[in-house]
Amino acid sequence: MTSHDQLTTITHASPQARPRRISYAEVRARIGEPEDMIKRKVRDRLDRHARRFIAHSPFLAMATSDATGLPDSSPRGDYPGFVKVLDERTLAIPDRPGNQLADSFRNLAENDGIGLMFVVPGMREVLRVNGRAYPTDEPDVLARMRTEGKEAELAIVVELTEIFFHCGRALIRSRLWDPASQALAGELPSIGEIAADQFGLDADPRALTDMLEDDYRHLY
Amino acid sequence: MAMQRTILEKAEPVAEGAVSLLLRGTDGPLAPWEPGAHIDLALPNWLTRQYSLCGDPADLDTYRVAVRHDRLSRGGSEYIHLFLDEGHTLDVSVPRNNFPLLPAPEYLFLAGGIGITPILPMLTAAVEAGSSATLVYTGRSLATMPFADELRAAYGSRVRIHATERHGRPDFAAEAAALGARTLVYCCGPTPMLEAAEAAFPTQQLHIEHFRPTAKKFAPNEPFDVHCARSQRTVRVGAEDSMLDALNHAGFRIPSGCREGVCGSCEITLVDGEPEHRDDIGAPPGRMYCCVSRALSSGLTVDL
Repeated sequence: MTSHDQLTTITHASPQARPRRISYAEVRARIGEPEDMIKRKVRDRLDRHARRFIAHSPFLAMATSDATGLPDSSPRGDYPGFVKVLDERTLAIPDRPGNQLADSFRNLAENDGIGLMFVVPGMREVLRVNGRAYPTDEPDVLARMRTEGKEAELAIVVELTEIFFHCGRALIRSRLWDPASQALAGELPSIGEIAADQFGLDADPRALTDMLEDDYRHLY
Repeated sequence: MAMQRTILEKAEPVAEGAVSLLLRGTDGPLAPWEPGAHIDLALPNWLTRQYSLCGDPADLDTYRVAVRHDRLSRGGSEYIHLFLDEGHTLDVSVPRNNFPLLPAPEYLFLAGGIGITPILPMLTAAVEAGSSATLVYTGRSLATMPFADELRAAYGSRVRIHATERHGRPDFAAEAAALGARTLVYCCGPTPMLEAAEAAFPTQQLHIEHFRPTAKKFAPNEPFDVHCARSQRTVRVGAEDSMLDALNHAGFRIPSGCREGVCGSCEITLVDGEPEHRDDIGAPPGRMYCCVSRALSSGLTVDL
């Protein structure tokens, strides 16, 4: 271990102490009540704006939970519009080759709740969708996901119960779409260095990175 | 690939579920084309789609295409129908022609639904050239058939409209029995119609254009080497790789469009070796479409 790996606690006095927990009532007291218009923004079906947003979104974060409620968040991405609109209350997300852990599918088998956050590059507002979901192999759904001659093998059908636009403050503050922000990636170790450390591999990190890059060529 | 900037001047319905797009060049005259040609349309959602030109080849200020909203759209026709607004700038490729109209004294044109698009300028050119021409135009119902009215108005009895909802499928066997020895048949439409035409008409008289790749079976992919003669380099194509991706990854910049062997934009010149053609265009000798095609021999030599 290098000295960089010594995680020091600077936010609280002793390692045993945890940051103090406050109640929801205390939270509510701090942040106040939302305005009426904000409450009314939640809809139960797609309108043309939401549909257009989804048609231009190449990326979303997908949250699922297991039977105990322990949540998990997973990235999904492809060309804009990769999530298909089946009707005004139903979406379908293609499942492309990944790490085969199938965490999301396992969660959905135990707990069908799902939360999606759609992102459009350059757009500060995001679209949030909550609902119930299940896996499918319906040929007509998979046919709409054929990319580069390959069909998605599975898809996740989402029956939405809530859909709303979320304001852009987080993305503004995070400067997410500012090209200069990409310099941050240069401050991180390569994925090969991370893998070599985490798996205790005695391998050249550059070779590991190259191996991963090679693997990334097979996206479908 | 050479692209041309256009602006979507007009998008208007031409039948139930079909829209025509009028694209005006923004930087002077557009590249010329012959009947049967298609362009790649680069959509804002990163997808590239191929559409046959169905306007007037003499008009180099605009291109016209027509697009059917496919029920199982992967995002091309759906995007055009739902999200593409007039006034939007669109890049289009220089026209390519995999379906050229060869000279003949007589033509039989067979079009199915949106397959009318390449046939439309072909029929016009054939009539202008003084050839005898007949069009059998098939669709589910008249309301779903683009340009049916203008075709009947312009060509009268040369155009035979065939609505399958009322009359079933046209009798290609009867058409074939009456076919003159020097008549050329041009066919564009849905897969069952292309198959019916292939079954009915003599191969040497029949010209077909595919929109969609046909179902084909090949032996499992084997890795192979591509020797690039001009650059003196060898590129390995893995079993999981397409030749197109392997060449592009090695730094060659091969253009691509459909990536499923129907558009022809990734054509490369073959110098040596035995290719396995997997496309639906029908590669001429010495050419291959590297998005889908592979090697039967252990290696190929190409002009790159």
